[in-house]
Amino acid sequence: MNQARFSVEIATETRPVVSVSDFVIEPDTITFLFGESGIGKSMISKAIYGLIDPARLRVSVNGRNYSEYLRRSWTRNLQENSFFVFQEPSSHLNPLVRLHEQLNEGSLSKATNEEDVLRRLWQSVPAETLERILRIYPKPYRPSGGEKQRLLLAMAFKKIGLFQSSNPEDRTNFFVFDEPTGSLDNVYRNLFLELLFDTFRKSPFTAMLITHDYSIISEIFQKHNDILSRVRFKELVRAGESRVSVRDFSPDHYLNWLRKASGSRVPASSAGEVVLDVSPRFSIFGRKLGIYADHAKTRPARLTVRSGEMVYVKAPSGVGKTTLAKLIMGLYQAEEFEMKLLGKTMTHQTPPRMWPQKVWGKNAGMVFQHADEALDLEATVKETFDGLPLEKGRNRSLKTDIAELFEGEIDSSFLNKKVKLLSGGQKQRLNLLRTLVLKTGVVILDEPLNALDFGSIQRVLAILERHRNRGAALLMISHNEEIFDALVDPALVYHLAELN
Amino acid sequence: MKRKLLEHAFSVVLITVVLVGAVAGIGWYERNARASEKEKTEVFGELAFVNFNDPFDRALLEDVANVYYPGQHDRNETALAEIASSHEQALAKKLTSSHESERLNIAKAGELLGMYLSFLIVYAVVIALTYYGVHTIGVWRFCLKRRELEQTQLSFFQKVLRLGRSTLGVAATFVLFSPAYVIAYALKTRLNTDTSLFMAVLALVSNGLLIVYSNKFYAFLTSESRKGYVETAYVKNLNHSYDPHASDGIPYRWIFRMRKRFDGHVFDHIYRNASFQYLPTLKEQASFLITGLIIIEMALNIHGHLSYEMLRQLLYKNYDIVIATILLVFYTVKATEVFSDVMSHRIAVGYENTDS
Amino acid sequence: MKPIQHLFGHKDKRWALSWVLVVLVLFLWDLHFLNRPSLKLVVSGFINTMIISGLVILFTLVLGWVFTILLDAMQSRRREKTHFVVTFLLNLVRSIPQIVGVLFGYVIVTTLHRQGIISSKMQLFPLLAFAMALFIFPEVVDLMRERIDHYRKLDFFNAMRVCGIRESRIVNFNILWRNSRIHIFNKLISVFGIAVFLQCSVDFIISVGLSTDVNPISLPPTLGSLLAHYDSKQDIQSIASLFSDVSYFPQLFTIHLQGVSVAFLIVFTLVSIYNISNGYAERNQL
Repeated sequence: MNQARFSVEIATETRPVVSVSDFVIEPDTITFLFGESGIGKSMISKAIYGLIDPARLRVSVNGRNYSEYLRRSWTRNLQENSFFVFQEPSSHLNPLVRLHEQLNEGSLSKATNEEDVLRRLWQSVPAETLERILRIYPKPYRPSGGEKQRLLLAMAFKKIGLFQSSNPEDRTNFFVFDEPTGSLDNVYRNLFLELLFDTFRKSPFTAMLITHDYSIISEIFQKHNDILSRVRFKELVRAGESRVSVRDFSPDHYLNWLRKASGSRVPASSAGEVVLDVSPRFSIFGRKLGIYADHAKTRPARLTVRSGEMVYVKAPSGVGKTTLAKLIMGLYQAEEFEMKLLGKTMTHQTPPRMWPQKVWGKNAGMVFQHADEALDLEATVKETFDGLPLEKGRNRSLKTDIAELFEGEIDSSFLNKKVKLLSGGQKQRLNLLRTLVLKTGVVILDEPLNALDFGSIQRVLAILERHRNRGAALLMISHNEEIFDALVDPALVYHLAELN
Repeated sequence: MKRKLLEHAFSVVLITVVLVGAVAGIGWYERNARASEKEKTEVFGELAFVNFNDPFDRALLEDVANVYYPGQHDRNETALAEIASSHEQALAKKLTSSHESERLNIAKAGELLGMYLSFLIVYAVVIALTYYGVHTIGVWRFCLKRRELEQTQLSFFQKVLRLGRSTLGVAATFVLFSPAYVIAYALKTRLNTDTSLFMAVLALVSNGLLIVYSNKFYAFLTSESRKGYVETAYVKNLNHSYDPHASDGIPYRWIFRMRKRFDGHVFDHIYRNASFQYLPTLKEQASFLITGLIIIEMALNIHGHLSYEMLRQLLYKNYDIVIATILLVFYTVKATEVFSDVMSHRIAVGYENTDS
Repeated sequence: MKPIQHLFGHKDKRWALSWVLVVLVLFLWDLHFLNRPSLKLVVSGFINTMIISGLVILFTLVLGWVFTILLDAMQSRRREKTHFVVTFLLNLVRSIPQIVGVLFGYVIVTTLHRQGIISSKMQLFPLLAFAMALFIFPEVVDLMRERIDHYRKLDFFNAMRVCGIRESRIVNFNILWRNSRIHIFNKLISVFGIAVFLQCSVDFIISVGLSTDVNPISLPPTLGSLLAHYDSKQDIQSIASLFSDVSYFPQLFTIHLQGVSVAFLIVFTLVSIYNISNGYAERNQL
């Protein structure tokens, strides 16, 4: 397979969606493709793989219309040899077919490496547990998001194994992993990377990993630097209204920034007063959870947040970080819970109406993780702030706030642009701003760096830093451990864990 | 599930009590109303020398009244209108009661039950047919649409074929959307439209039943085809052609067979989910079919059929029989709902991972 | 050229336009070939049917919205008993075949009419429409509840709530108006179709079955009652004679015009509504 260069144009009936003219697939390399969400990374890869539904979008690849492209033997060979791991694992498994059946369907049934792949992706999990997972029908909460993700990855590795062992005449291949680590915590993410690189060492193939997880870079530099020559880091950037272009992403850029950040982190201070104080044990949905001050979980601790501080809570995925946040905000009813919010004690027995009366929009705010879900996509940027309990006269300063947050990107039409037409990074920042303008004493942030490109990450962190300097107390929840371990004083890091 | 069944049971009891109560209430009201009416105007109704249908006679009577009760023009006028209408009603009653004033006795109940049974049979047959029809037409349309997307360059022959097919489609839509009575009257002189067989066929192909629900099923197929798991199935190299003649396509006999399966094809995933999603719609479809059957029986005046009997008894004001028929229809709907709920529940439980 | 393309490019607009055009052409044809009294009947029957069906849309929308808000408020305030009672009643209405419900609604309204309690069209039409809306609106409630549930399950609802936005604003404005009005509008199109269908059927049934010479029902003419008219029935029956004599075809459009016009108006309207609704859903990717 030779290096292939693609120009792709995708449009709806009425408007262009995305177009690129310099998309390169380099054979026998692993490419990491970064870029903000919604910019078109998935769509372009799907178009090249031949996965776009011609009933919904108009596509042309290298000037050919799509059905012609799909009929080419090159495309057919590619589809024959390759695999595509889609993002959002939940919706990519059929809820009415047992998992082991889905793992052995079509060409996957011919692969012989299933046992090996599963064992490596589920390391340390007993065989019976794994077997039980394979017998079930995928449901929203079972298996967990991480398990679903690993099942899809297992399919990809089966296909890679098939490709490596069969050695087909035509070696066109393109294994795409779209956000493969989005639902994995660091342990499983590293297992996946290890398996990927080990398989690659055996016999190379062409892979592309679409991701926002920049901490992958550190992992590769530390553990897999032997094949750095076969690894590429690229970034998709906006080059026009719907035009995008590929450029190299310098891993050093990120690594240096990280080093600098941890050097300049703010030490924990006792200057501010305590605004949020959560009991170290609580139970909800029949599960008991505990908060600890150390990773080894030997020191239970009250989660204490002072004004002017950023406190970081971490836990493996699926333990209940978001649950804790929603509990504090009164969105869930606990079986046992106690906290002090700005001097007021609230427990699991506090009537739910207290939150809308005293807390929401007044004393505490929360930024939800998926901007796409949390925002009204049909509203304009300006309308996003309608209905908020703002003091009069805030409207003028709102404009300056927006300008500050979107520096250099906005013109007069920006305020009247529909939210659904914004880019992923812009949406996430708007989501943040909607909560920040309320100027509440406590702000809970649930994965605010989700789906952001490196530039947007830096901007969001800068905004939060400014907000903290003005005296706000920030409670940060994120799986992005590398970044927040660097930014937050270890004394302000808490660990959440389930009690047996 | 238990809760749902309880709710159904409760609504059956409630409706039964309310309607039976209504029968008693109406009977009581009628006896009283009749008695009071009699006193007021009956005397005038029996004036043999006045022909109430003749405007001249009526005017004459009004003049007479005005002479006897001078200065009460308005009062006289309303009184006369009352007399005229009660006269009319008496006449109507005489005519209808000559048809028969029936009571709900055992013989009548047996007769109703017989009609009900034949109603049930037609209903069961048509619901089975529509279930098959809806799925088959939905799948067929979906495959056709997909194929049209696959073929981009058409030969002249194919173009003509496609044009002919869409014309036929539009014509078929017109027939399928016609209310049953339009079709039935159009055919009345040619066919015996009073048979149960004709009724079943008519119920199937008219009132928009088949087309509305096959369209719903088609919409389920379309929306399922956009789901993520279909993409995953696709990259596993399952068959994905919709050409009926291709080796990796979907042959016609797969589309038309009773128990549909599409082994080794991406469409199998789509179909499985769409049929599962469609299950709750079955209730709606059944209730719509009952509406259709009732319309047919009533509009075609098919003697000896349940709904027509209801209409007839409504006309003769035998409310107890009317309510008995309504109850029977209501029980049918409820039975269908219970059946559909139990079925969907059982199928859903099958996918619930209860074994692990 | 462009505006024409714009109109004909979408299935829904195409069908809406052709519905108007075809009805106009039919009117002109009837103007020429149909006798005046019949023409007057057909025109007023058509207009009455459209008015009543339009009113049905209005009532279903209002009833649907009110009940949705009511149910939603009960649910969020955890008034489970009242919530259960209202859902139960809604399910009860759903279990009554629409035609039976509407038929009895009509019987009551016509009885009132005959007794002179209601006399004018202004009173009669809304009552007839209301009787129909009562048995259609649960569908609208279902749709609206589905939309609200969808957004409640997402972070959408919670994210707005914790920002201090009023719950009623989120439900009514953000969810139902801004994010569901296309869905609701599409539902209302099909409600219009159901209304036309039910109304024609009920009118037909009443005119055929419930009116005798002694029991005249003096409702204003509608398409359904016109179709039940003796002349129209014969016109429709004449369609069958095509089977034996194709040359009879032209006469359908001259001699048997009244019945054929009425039947065509009913069927064509139903087909058009179906296609408009489908096209609209397709265009908006519902």
